Amino acid sequence: MRRALVILLLVAVSLPLLLAVSQLPPHGDPDNPPHVHIAPRYLESGPEEAGAENVVTAVILNYRGFDTQGEVTVIFTAMAAVVAVLVMGSTGTAPAERSAAAVPVSVIVRFIVRVLAPFIAVFSVYVVLNGHVTPGGGFQGGTIAGALVIALTLILSEQDARALLPRRPERLLQAAAPITFFVVGIAGLVIAGDYLAYPRTEALRWLTTIMLTVVELGIGVGGAMVIATIFRTMGADR
Amino acid sequence: MIAALWQNLDYAASVALFCIGLYAIITKENLIKKFMGLNIMETAVFAFIVALGVVDGGEAPIMGPGVEAPFINPLPQALILTGIVVAVSTTALALSLVIRIWRQCGTIEADELREAE
Amino acid sequence: MTDWPPLLALVIAVPLTGAVLTPAIGRGRPQWASSWALLTMAVTSVMALLLIVRVAEDGPFSYVVGGWDAPYGIELRFDEFGASVGVICLIGSLAIMFSRRYATHAIAEARIPYYYALLLLNLTGMIGFSVTGDLFNLFVFMEILSLSGYALVAVSGEKIAEMAAFKYLVMGAISSLVVLFAIGLLYALTGSLNMTDITLRLAGAPAAPLAVAFGAMTLGFMVKAAAFPLHIWLPDAHAIAPSPVSAILSGLVVKIGILGMLRMYQIAYGSQAIDMTGLNSVLMWLGALSIVMGAFFAIFQDDIKMMLAYSTISNIGYIVMGLGLASTYGVIGASVHVFNHAIIKATLFLGAGAIIFQTGKRTLSELAGVGRAMPLTVGAIAVGAVSIVGMPPTAGFLCKWYIALGAIQAGHPVFAFALVFGALFIFIYYIRMVNAFYFRQPEDPAILEVGEAPLSMLVPILVLASLCLVMGLLGRIPLSFIEPAALRLLAPLGGG
Repeated sequence: MRRALVILLLVAVSLPLLLAVSQLPPHGDPDNPPHVHIAPRYLESGPEEAGAENVVTAVILNYRGFDTQGEVTVIFTAMAAVVAVLVMGSTGTAPAERSAAAVPVSVIVRFIVRVLAPFIAVFSVYVVLNGHVTPGGGFQGGTIAGALVIALTLILSEQDARALLPRRPERLLQAAAPITFFVVGIAGLVIAGDYLAYPRTEALRWLTTIMLTVVELGIGVGGAMVIATIFRTMGADR
Repeated sequence: MIAALWQNLDYAASVALFCIGLYAIITKENLIKKFMGLNIMETAVFAFIVALGVVDGGEAPIMGPGVEAPFINPLPQALILTGIVVAVSTTALALSLVIRIWRQCGTIEADELREAE
Repeated sequence: MTDWPPLLALVIAVPLTGAVLTPAIGRGRPQWASSWALLTMAVTSVMALLLIVRVAEDGPFSYVVGGWDAPYGIELRFDEFGASVGVICLIGSLAIMFSRRYATHAIAEARIPYYYALLLLNLTGMIGFSVTGDLFNLFVFMEILSLSGYALVAVSGEKIAEMAAFKYLVMGAISSLVVLFAIGLLYALTGSLNMTDITLRLAGAPAAPLAVAFGAMTLGFMVKAAAFPLHIWLPDAHAIAPSPVSAILSGLVVKIGILGMLRMYQIAYGSQAIDMTGLNSVLMWLGALSIVMGAFFAIFQDDIKMMLAYSTISNIGYIVMGLGLASTYGVIGASVHVFNHAIIKATLFLGAGAIIFQTGKRTLSELAGVGRAMPLTVGAIAVGAVSIVGMPPTAGFLCKWYIALGAIQAGHPVFAFALVFGALFIFIYYIRMVNAFYFRQPEDPAILEVGEAPLSMLVPILVLASLCLVMGLLGRIPLSFIEPAALRLLAPLGGG
């Protein structure tokens, strides 16, 4: 009975949605409003104006850089939220032994992670630095690095795993992405006259590339730290 | 309308996914399953927006030697990169809350939790 | 342009950076986190003030981040509705000041730097939401403020807090998703994400996607604003959160839903692409229902914070009704009530928080007679109570009067009755409260022994209470401030 009501509700919800979606401009048609309005300018002038051949990166870092500053703030908020909800403080549990019921990590997993780890690390740096000419970018690379930390945490002992992440500058590194954005934003204000603006002249193209790379690195480091911290906080004190 | 829907099949599929996710949220009692339903709904909306950017016969919007028009619209992709991060953030927080509820109440089934209140 | 407009970007970027630095600064030294948060908000408040002064003199102005032209870059647009940054900074700063003592009592020490970080992020999200002119940017800031809000409800670590936070999260996440879907639809129809640009390009769009887009957006924002019947997440969340957080949630965060609807109306009315009268009628009725149901439930609550939470639902009803009336008086009254209710509710929640802090008790029956022990705090609460009932010369009176006028102006005098009805109910439960605090005999004589609230908590409460009176006496000022924005909003409809 309840299930029938739910199905009825879903049909009632989906019908107006399907109607709306059917009246949208045809899928894939190059004359659709989204393809004739703002995007052509991005595609044509992106590489010269914004300094990145990967137009998606140009949009994310340059044209709509402020959105990305908001995005790195969202992920930071998630980390702060996870810590604020889970951390217990000085009364917290002592470093936990991996619970006895957990399946011990097999030799195969250990071997493969150990062998692949350096390659994954190099790859993540590559993705971060090449974000403006190939698919990729700061956050993508940072996630790969974060995933690497997670994989290593699974196979290493408790102390070694904790040593993976630098303790002292830990909190600053977590905030690396938003801070980098602020610094580059102010630099843009000083150099190019507007917040988060990158120099657009041919002469200063090198400066634009440097600023974009700095932002990518900041996002990468910040993203990796945030992901690793969230994992550690959620997995800690069983 | 059916003909128009067939042409916009990608969009209609997103609507279907959306409803599947909504079904999961409403009917499943386990908190984590409810949350997976939310994730499915989020994926549906992201798929919808990315599908908006598709141009027939278009190439990836990365300039370089040898690539030529038409290109796929880069703007929806940029939006969804941010959207995915937002979805991950919400999921992380929700799962942390589930961990806490598990530790304090011993259960993560919504009906049992309601009774315990 | 290098003088003023970058301030629009900085008024968001500064609290944002301050927020992310807070855990690093407060590491091991929770009081430093508190001071740093206060410093950040002080700087932000100065910037907000400059922006408000500018819009009062010259009218709306905008700034595109990154030096591009709109709509290729993200446009930040400051109009009179954006002046909410003023009240955000004010209540935010006072809540942080209040937290200095309160947090050490209510929250585990290791969490405190992150508590302040989340508070600042919440305030940043709201400031960004008020100042942006780009729909996707709006979504991003909405997520920042929502996520921090969910976490702040759960931060005290109590069991009920976590469940309330989870319910809040699920409903909030669904509503954000629905708003994102609406943004996607509007993008599909116009190819733009900039609000003014969309307004210009929306005419002639097919009817079904338009209707679904605006309907979905309204639905999403109504959940955020806790309008009946989508309010079910609010009572538990606002009652169980730490009191400074409740003040911010009830005073400011729910208003974001209202501000979202105002932005949506700016697009809907400005583009003249869709007829909103159907939706407006629904909103009028739901608003009226909110007023009465919220007040009705409040009467039966014993826990003070639950009572205040239901009162919020009732007051949001006034605002939603005012928006639905779509008349000049209605919109002006609703917008100014956004500010006034924020101040009044903050007074009440912070006062309640002080009482709970000093006595350890939360229910009216247990707190009988506390007015004799904490005269200043309870006095401030009494001022807040009188304001929220809407008696002159306090802040609540003028805006409710305007909404009632708006109902008559729109040709629906019956809603003016709903307003009076609601006011009567509100009067009943606040009289109950004041009566319990002052005139009932204390159940537990130990109540009379507690001292007045500590200074760091008392000062914000008294400041807010005096503002309740001041805003009432100077009520004309905010009303005339908002008027140009309301007129501009309704102009395409052919006058109020």
